[in-house]
Amino acid sequence: MPFLAKSQGFQVNLFGEKQIGMGHTGTGVALDGAAVVFNPGAVVTLPDNYIQGGVSPLVFQSDFNPSGTNTQYHTLDKKAYPFSFYGAFGPKKGIWKLGLGVYTPFGGLADWGQSWQGRYVLESLDLKAIYFQPTLSIKISENLSIGAGFVYNRGSVDLTKAIPLSYTNGQDGQAELTGSGKGYGWNAGIYYKSADFTAGFSHRSQVTTTISGGNAIFTVPASIQPNFPQPNTFTATIPLPAVNSIGIGLYPTKKWILAFDINYVSWNTYKNLEFDYSKTSTILTNTKSPRNYKDAYTFRAGAQYKASDEVDLRFGTGYGTTAVSDGYVTPEAPDANRVYLTGGLGFKFTKQFDFDLVFEYEHLLSRTQTNIESQLSGTFETNVFIPGVSLAYHW
Amino acid sequence: MKFIKNSLYIFAGVILFTACKPDIKTPTLTKGNADFSRYISIGNSLTAGYADGGLYLAGQQVSYPSIIANQMKSVGGGNFTQPLFGSNEANGSGYLTLTGFSSTGLPVTANVTNNLAIRDVLKVEGFGNVTLYNKYAGTDINNYGVPGIKLYNITYAPYGNLNGFFERLLPGKAPNNTTTYLQFVTAKPFTFFSNWLGNNDALGYATSGGAGDVLTDKTTFAGLYQLLITTLTANGAKGVVATVPDVTAIPYFNTVTVDAVLAGVKQANPQAQALYVNALSSPSTTGTYAARPATNKDLLILTFNTGLIGTPVTTPYGPLPYGLTQFTPIDNQYVLDQNEVALTQDYVNTYNQTIKSVAASSGLAVFDAYTFLNNIKTNGLIEDGIPLSSNYISGGIFSLDGVHLTPRGYAIVANEFIKAINSKYGSNIPLTNITNYTGVKLP
Repeated sequence: MPFLAKSQGFQVNLFGEKQIGMGHTGTGVALDGAAVVFNPGAVVTLPDNYIQGGVSPLVFQSDFNPSGTNTQYHTLDKKAYPFSFYGAFGPKKGIWKLGLGVYTPFGGLADWGQSWQGRYVLESLDLKAIYFQPTLSIKISENLSIGAGFVYNRGSVDLTKAIPLSYTNGQDGQAELTGSGKGYGWNAGIYYKSADFTAGFSHRSQVTTTISGGNAIFTVPASIQPNFPQPNTFTATIPLPAVNSIGIGLYPTKKWILAFDINYVSWNTYKNLEFDYSKTSTILTNTKSPRNYKDAYTFRAGAQYKASDEVDLRFGTGYGTTAVSDGYVTPEAPDANRVYLTGGLGFKFTKQFDFDLVFEYEHLLSRTQTNIESQLSGTFETNVFIPGVSLAYHW
Repeated sequence: MKFIKNSLYIFAGVILFTACKPDIKTPTLTKGNADFSRYISIGNSLTAGYADGGLYLAGQQVSYPSIIANQMKSVGGGNFTQPLFGSNEANGSGYLTLTGFSSTGLPVTANVTNNLAIRDVLKVEGFGNVTLYNKYAGTDINNYGVPGIKLYNITYAPYGNLNGFFERLLPGKAPNNTTTYLQFVTAKPFTFFSNWLGNNDALGYATSGGAGDVLTDKTTFAGLYQLLITTLTANGAKGVVATVPDVTAIPYFNTVTVDAVLAGVKQANPQAQALYVNALSSPSTTGTYAARPATNKDLLILTFNTGLIGTPVTTPYGPLPYGLTQFTPIDNQYVLDQNEVALTQDYVNTYNQTIKSVAASSGLAVFDAYTFLNNIKTNGLIEDGIPLSSNYISGGIFSLDGVHLTPRGYAIVANEFIKAINSKYGSNIPLTNITNYTGVKLP
């Protein structure tokens, strides 16, 4: 089901405006409350308590050129609103801090419209996953701290596609699957801080999310409708994959922070996308579509330069390998190896208020594929534009 | 604060600069070493856009030559004029529509009988009745598809009086026409042609259950095919030809099966042991016919009325149930029996050897429809996420008559022609989007 945006498959790595500006680094550097997701072990090292929130209204622009043609189909301009909220509280310079994170690590929004050549594979997909993560972070020694959180996921899906059954006026049948579900997991990290550098490792577990009792709506010509029993429901399970991250932060001068992260995403657990219907017929059968994702890496680098007491400049870049093997690329996640550039501005209006702006441009390299299951054949190319804004209050 | 303001301006500038849609570099379209400026199509009902048991405007508008011509426009193709029926005669010869499904899931069809283009019925001595259609008023024609025509007919001068669809295109009226099909299609210059003749030389025999028509002699076929191609290429035109499909690859012969009919009969009449057919003794044109129990290798035609089975037939031995005894076999015209199938296949294979060898020696592109449709019969076909097969109605490729194609089927065929042309002539005609064309329309 899935889909889109930032980073492999349908991972959305928009966890904090400061970190996005620095190329999505943050496992080995603790800048603010977003440490709750980047590395629970680092939360206790934050000098202040934090309440912060941000949103990254992204536009996913994908382009498809069917093989043997000079036609191009573009996705409609639809905005998704991945967001994040964090809180971190504890005694000043204490050995513990409690944290809470609400964030959207997976999601997808791709709307190809109802007239494009691949509409029998997918018209639109809107997938959301919202993680709620209460967290405890503890300082073990002067240099070392750890942390862990419990993850509850609230997921939802809305998928539409055309059915190749024609009405007498030539119109297609339509299928829409909508539903929501939940899943559980955890997040843990360890953080090391010395005078010269900081380093961290974190693990976010797989969150297997099951959508059951979702609505399965099939609109087809009346003579064939008995083969598409209504009302109907579906069940589907998506394994949102585990992510291992390792990162380091360097502080060459008082004005500069350099950060590097490597992520390893265990996508290979996503083997099939299955829909089981509560009512089936000789025509409407349960489906099992091979996905056969593979594990993926992202390499990230970023920097922050303190231009003045009020202004921080940030920039970063990264490269991600695709999770989707040849033959399995679909319009729901027209995935490919990708590069991105980020830039950000941080303003400190007062000692307590941070206002951060960020912009990211991400490019998925052009990929020419014939999908084994659908035989949809052609070239995908995708750009993602992600502005972002956040406010943080810390004391 | 000035610094902050400048920073914001730069930031906004970066956003505007990069916020553009991706643009894939698509292949450059070229005509290669062919010239598509005047393309003509030669062929039978498939070429004319015949579907659902008739030739009508909506079918003509999605004929595969018109789809090919439309795609050729981006590589120098010219106008492509089809002899379309007018809007007041849009239903042409009449055709079948699907009105629903019976309680047992069988399709129910009805004939469209209004807005026809029929002008007269001509009685031809020694031949039979010929339905005549309103004359096509235009003078320009690119699509010369004539339903029913065989390769065997292309040099026969009176043919314009015996085929109403051909008569419709000719300037003169039956029974006074003397222009042969070959003369007619080559009267005006052209730069590129497609030719898909030959199907009816075998199909006429097959669809009549081997009873109402004859197979065109193999040597005659070879001679006429060579003549046709020599004439078409005489002025340097290039072209594409297609092979003749295996007649058993179409739902007309694969939908009503002996096993299924017998199973139905046994439900009502458990004593029934077998269906009987009047079958050819050997796969030869000189074979004789005799009744024998049917097997699933005998192919019943799509239009066979299974309600006939078991109805009493008067015989010298008293009334006996139709189709269930050796004295009351299913009539020859309803069944293409195993030896008739083998005989037809033998002829089709020989025709196709001729087509391929003549095309090769003339440097023409070949769309191997025989192989393509047999592959679909065996393996099905998936394109753009659409599961397609040779099944009647649900397969999406064959129209309600079980022989001719749906708009989507014709679009798929057009793409296969285009692939053959591109590969032979180094051209790059873009493929059409088959999802713009429907399968069987459902009420």
